[in-house]
Amino acid sequence: ATEDKEGRPPFNFKEYMLEKANSVNAALESSVLLRPPLKIHEAMRYSLLAGGKRVRPVLCIAACELVGGQESMAMPSACAVEMIHTMSLIHDDLPCMDNDDLRRGKPTNHKVFGEDVAVLAGDALLAYAFEHIAVETKGVSSTRIVRAIFELAKSIGAEGLVAGQVVDISSEGIAGVGLEQLEFIHLHKTAALLEASVVLGAIMGGGSNEEVEKLRSFARCIGLLFQVVDDILDLTQSSQELGKTAGKDLVADKVTYPKLMGIEKSRELASKLNKDAREQLFGFDIAKAAPLIALADYIANRQN
Amino acid sequence: ATAAPTRSPKPRPFDLKTYWATLIAEINQKLDEAIPVQYPERIYEAMRYSVLAEGAKRAPPVMCVTACELFGGDRLAAFPTACALEMVHSASLIHDDLPCMDDDPSRRGQPSNHTVYGVDMAILAGDALFPLGFRHIVSQTPSDLVPEPCLLRVIAEIARSVGSTGMAAGQFLDLEGGPNSVDFVQEKKFGEMAECSAVCGGLLGGAEDEEIRRLRRYGRAVGVLYQVVEDILEEQTKSGMSDEEKNKKKGKSYVRLYGIEKAMEVAEELKDKAKKELNAFEKYGDRVAPLYSFVDYAAERGFTFGGSS
Repeated sequence: ATEDKEGRPPFNFKEYMLEKANSVNAALESSVLLRPPLKIHEAMRYSLLAGGKRVRPVLCIAACELVGGQESMAMPSACAVEMIHTMSLIHDDLPCMDNDDLRRGKPTNHKVFGEDVAVLAGDALLAYAFEHIAVETKGVSSTRIVRAIFELAKSIGAEGLVAGQVVDISSEGIAGVGLEQLEFIHLHKTAALLEASVVLGAIMGGGSNEEVEKLRSFARCIGLLFQVVDDILDLTQSSQELGKTAGKDLVADKVTYPKLMGIEKSRELASKLNKDAREQLFGFDIAKAAPLIALADYIANRQN
Repeated sequence: ATAAPTRSPKPRPFDLKTYWATLIAEINQKLDEAIPVQYPERIYEAMRYSVLAEGAKRAPPVMCVTACELFGGDRLAAFPTACALEMVHSASLIHDDLPCMDDDPSRRGQPSNHTVYGVDMAILAGDALFPLGFRHIVSQTPSDLVPEPCLLRVIAEIARSVGSTGMAAGQFLDLEGGPNSVDFVQEKKFGEMAECSAVCGGLLGGAEDEEIRRLRRYGRAVGVLYQVVEDILEEQTKSGMSDEEKNKKKGKSYVRLYGIEKAMEVAEELKDKAKKELNAFEKYGDRVAPLYSFVDYAAERGFTFGGSS
């Protein structure tokens, strides 16, 4: 294997992801225990522990370690962002929203537990995310924990995640949706929570304001990147390859990057966003930044 | 109705109505400011529709402020949390009313949120109000009045109360449970919010742990008492209710399950229990009066502001 100039082996992304995803999964497993009333906790665990790539929690931990923090400082936040992500998927899949039957290769939450339980399980995960950060974060000052809670709350509310969903819903089937509006949807619907994942990690790890803001810019780039790639995959991959219903953007008559600019230009945009993301990491220790660089590449090159 | 604690007669009757009306006006104004309309407007309108509904009694925020003041806390320390309690309470109610849940077409005397804005918007309005509550607490609480560890305890308390072992558990058993679940449902759906409100106020006012435990028991008793009395009043005016409506209420009403006499006994017990907890706060003098009058209000409904919760 080639080594870098300081004699270190090259960064092994697969190994890194596997190791981090394992510790995240273990932490998630013990975060939501089976207790009465059983069915609602089963429903929470069903979706929370359904696998998934754990991109958000790993981003959170990687950002924490990049600014010099320990994994344990970021772990409650890492679990919390995954809880929020899961909650938004559960509610998004409901019949009154996207009406999806399949998620992460399994029947959706409401298909298994019913719509009522799916709504409640989502609400419970949302609340629990905040409780988990407030109660379980150790070795971090209260000031930083409070700041992290502010960032998370801002990113998932009506100025963040929910804003993206609202504009997304209201622009379905409407002609004349432009790039600007599409970018608004994705910056809110997808990028906001990725941003929160990275920002929470940086805050908990003790990052300076300047470091937190650089990582915020990085996260916004990979957030948009994530969605551009998602749009391309929805068009080019099968349901089986994706683990969720393919081509649903077309069926729902949703505006996408390939539809607005063609598939080639969409791929060019993806490369540009990845390059922009990487530039935000200049100035950080290059070895410590390797996981975030590799995560951006992974988001750019993933097949599902 | 004036509170009548067993010992130490009050020097002057506490005017709950004025106290409450003044506080409600302040809370309404703060809630109005807390949710400015911006793009995309429709979601903010949906959130405001439920949070600012006319006729809301604001029991959770008032109890929070009252409990804070009991321990000499500044009410400015409690207002952001008081508003947050109303936001998360509204979020729970919006989701409870959904067609896949209680399927209620109206709330607080007006059409329910999904009836006006659609089911998708109602789900998202709830999803946005929960985090707005937490954000409001951390961004609006004056840092010179409340230390950060205290804010974290408040946030944990609220999150637990609305979560899978709190109000969500109550709603779940309300939907799925048999008639024997009524006690649990009442505790969780109606006792939890009052308990949480009292405890948060106590935390913000700097109460001792033992005092927090008392507030917990007091709040829970008042919340359940309010609902048991609601059930009794509903039973007495049930003539206007269709058979279908009566059946729907069956699983969650004390009166339906235990009969009206037993329900009145339970109400009496809860009233005593709540007041007993307050005895230990007599040392705070007049400041405990609003908490007594809460109990009497829950028991007797001495006045109304129109509409129901």
